[in-house]
Amino acid sequence: MSSYTFRRFKDKMAYVFGFLCVLITIIPLGSILFEVVRNGFPALNVEFFTGLLGPIGQPGGGIANSIQGTLILIALTSIIGVPVGIMSGIYLAEFGDNRFGGTVRFFIDVFLGFPSIVIGIFAYLVIVLTMRNFSAIAGAFSLSIIMLPIVAKTTEEAIRLVPNSIREASMALGVRRWRTIVSVVLSTAKSGIATGVILAIARIAGETAPLIMTILGSQWFFAGFDGPMDALPLRIWRMSLLPYDYARQQGWGAALILILIVLTLNIAVRFLTRRKYRISM
Amino acid sequence: MRTFKVKRFLHGDNLFKLLTAVFASGVIITLSLIVYNLVFESYPVFDRFGFGFFTGVSWNPVAGRELFGAFPYILGTLVTSIIALAIAVPISLGIAIFLSEMSPSAIRVPLSFLIELLAAVPSVIYGLWGLFVFRFWVVDFVEKPLSTYLGFIPVFQGTPFGLDVLTAGLILAIMIIPTISSVSREVLIAVPNSQREAAYSIGATRWESIRIGVLSYARSGLVGAAILGLGRSIGETMAVTMVIGNAIGSAAIPTSLLKPSQTMASLIANEFNEADPTSLHPSALIGVALILFIFALAINIFARFLVWRVVRVRGGSV
Amino acid sequence: MRIKLDLNELKETDDLLTSKRNGTAQFSETLDKYKIEIELLNAWFSEKHALKDISMNIKANSVTAIIGPSGCGKSTLIRCLNRMHELTPKARVSGQVRLDNEDIYAGIDPVIIRRKVGMVFQKPNPFPTMSIYDNVVAGLKLNGVKDKKKLDEAMRKSLELASLWDEVKDDLKLSGSSLSGGQQQRLCIARALAVEPEVLLMDEPSSALDPIATGKIEQLIISLKEHYTIVIVTHNMQQAARIADYTAFLYLGELIEYGDTAHLFENPSKELTERYITGKFG
Repeated sequence: MSSYTFRRFKDKMAYVFGFLCVLITIIPLGSILFEVVRNGFPALNVEFFTGLLGPIGQPGGGIANSIQGTLILIALTSIIGVPVGIMSGIYLAEFGDNRFGGTVRFFIDVFLGFPSIVIGIFAYLVIVLTMRNFSAIAGAFSLSIIMLPIVAKTTEEAIRLVPNSIREASMALGVRRWRTIVSVVLSTAKSGIATGVILAIARIAGETAPLIMTILGSQWFFAGFDGPMDALPLRIWRMSLLPYDYARQQGWGAALILILIVLTLNIAVRFLTRRKYRISM
Repeated sequence: MRTFKVKRFLHGDNLFKLLTAVFASGVIITLSLIVYNLVFESYPVFDRFGFGFFTGVSWNPVAGRELFGAFPYILGTLVTSIIALAIAVPISLGIAIFLSEMSPSAIRVPLSFLIELLAAVPSVIYGLWGLFVFRFWVVDFVEKPLSTYLGFIPVFQGTPFGLDVLTAGLILAIMIIPTISSVSREVLIAVPNSQREAAYSIGATRWESIRIGVLSYARSGLVGAAILGLGRSIGETMAVTMVIGNAIGSAAIPTSLLKPSQTMASLIANEFNEADPTSLHPSALIGVALILFIFALAINIFARFLVWRVVRVRGGSV
Repeated sequence: MRIKLDLNELKETDDLLTSKRNGTAQFSETLDKYKIEIELLNAWFSEKHALKDISMNIKANSVTAIIGPSGCGKSTLIRCLNRMHELTPKARVSGQVRLDNEDIYAGIDPVIIRRKVGMVFQKPNPFPTMSIYDNVVAGLKLNGVKDKKKLDEAMRKSLELASLWDEVKDDLKLSGSSLSGGQQQRLCIARALAVEPEVLLMDEPSSALDPIATGKIEQLIISLKEHYTIVIVTHNMQQAARIADYTAFLYLGELIEYGDTAHLFENPSKELTERYITGKFG
């Protein structure tokens, strides 16, 4: 039956093709990691971590202000984005099975895949023009819009996973609904919520486009919430455009730092949710 | 049913519900504000050029001789995204099927983890890698041969320098594969097992049971996954702007894979900070942003609708 | 067993024969013909030992029912007969299952077995994106049959065998899932029959259907037995009593009793069987 052997052959081919697809996809990942380490590692020295950049064209200096900027932005963005995101997630999970909740959920999904540069323009129009200055606030504002849907969505999922029996046990003791949510449900869901927040932070740490027109970039250390500042992704971009070897190397160095931050956060999340996956499989 | 008294209403539970609802409405308010601002700020350029803004191909910010036409950038966005989809969709589908239906469970978790890591890499680092590494791969293995053997075909004309439509499309493909494959996997997992069993019970091989039992059932969801990938690719900024060559105006029209071009997102990234605030230039850029916004909105809505039809209950973690 | 009937049993069996069956092959010819011989079959889900040393022989062209309380292994047993059990991750099987004297677990591709041994599931599962026509011929197409005439013929024959032809013959292009529950199940039966199996396994085929649809399915099963060997799992003892020639009673993975249906229900040899049948547990 040659038709049968052909069918067997197709089955094998499907398996091979699938495997090849996975392989093809992992090669760029390997290359990126390899190149970032290879090119960025030589740039790392004490001055790199503590110094500022000199005038353009002059080798030496460091990206201390960029690292500082990224950390400040993460903190500021989280202050805005995390509470709003978690509260939204709570609403959706506990009260949101209605048309309003459906609409919010829908908009959140739409926002998830959104072009971040448009969000940057929005922040520019609303904050930068109003403050008449580029600033950390504008930057954090734009990043928090990116962070919000991620936190809201993972919070909603984490809360939905909390079994109803726990809520009922608490309410049966006479605890009010809102107290139940805040004290009991949230603490049960806390690891899920935390992973959502960490993932969101990993995401915004690497965002560049919205920063272009909100924080502008700077050669100096952070000088207040009402002036331009720097951040790692922006620094990487600007360095890569300069035709100097030292600049490119610093760009790779900054990329190495950034990727270490992002990957560490992602792997930490993976580690935290490992047990959860085991149970549900 | 409670009697509605103000005192009772200011009850802890209701206040809390209201509070969270207010926060939740932030999403809706933000989106509306974005629309409003974009429309308002881009109005000057539409007022000046009208429909010609969509169809014009010239781009000259010089005061007194302003000409703004977004068409080349719309084309650039579409062409690079189509190239990205053409490559990413089959590969993503292959990955999704392999990981969800075929692979031994031992390697499933590590492999899917690696692919998700690909999604975690920031766009600017893709751009860096694209500019200094990938570009030369493309030049050596694809563009030089194309140019040498098929250079007479218009689509392959141009110097194989690497900063062009092709490289941008290829990098976009790599970037959207994790998105498309993870949504596709969710869609495939949502197909009820009874479908696979039905196929097996009439004597199907594993691949055949996937083909007739799973893939046809999941069709619309898989298309949705691809469209989500499209949505992501049109919004990608940094990686694209670093490898696309940054052409302006009519020179940006993507007539060949080996020509530099420009997408809507990369244009904004390149020009926004240098645009003279007193001129029409910023308004033009915001006009381009508005077009991009509308594209992204339409694509995302359509894609979500398709995915929801198969996955139904909750969207999962995308 | 059957050759050594004493006169009483012979009379009983004869009465039952005439009241239950009509037009089947000569009794003596089917006497020695076992379609499926199960020998010391064991099955596991991971660590759970689901079937323990099952040995029984299934007669050709008969309806054999498998009954027992929930979780006793009924579904697992028939899924071992067409090698569907092994599709579950961490599932294991030991022992022999011989189809026409050949062990189906010894080096044969399960795909081939599943063509010979078809299956109908508890919840009807037609392919929703395919028309009624495409559903029925799905198996044939997989096997390389492309000739439209052959496909049309096979489709019509299968739908007639499944007693569905008259109801759908004008609407063959409709989607498989647009039919009622009972019709969908008959469609699944037609789909299974189209690849011309020798055995038809049915896992609680009418438990998701209303009584009228159930009645139609039962009639169908009785008529199909002329050409096929049918093994049916059912939690409904009355159904077994209505349509099965032989019945096997399973409890916690073990075969407690197996024999002629009437005998098992009216005069069970094992006490456990009697307690189940009289509803002392379930």
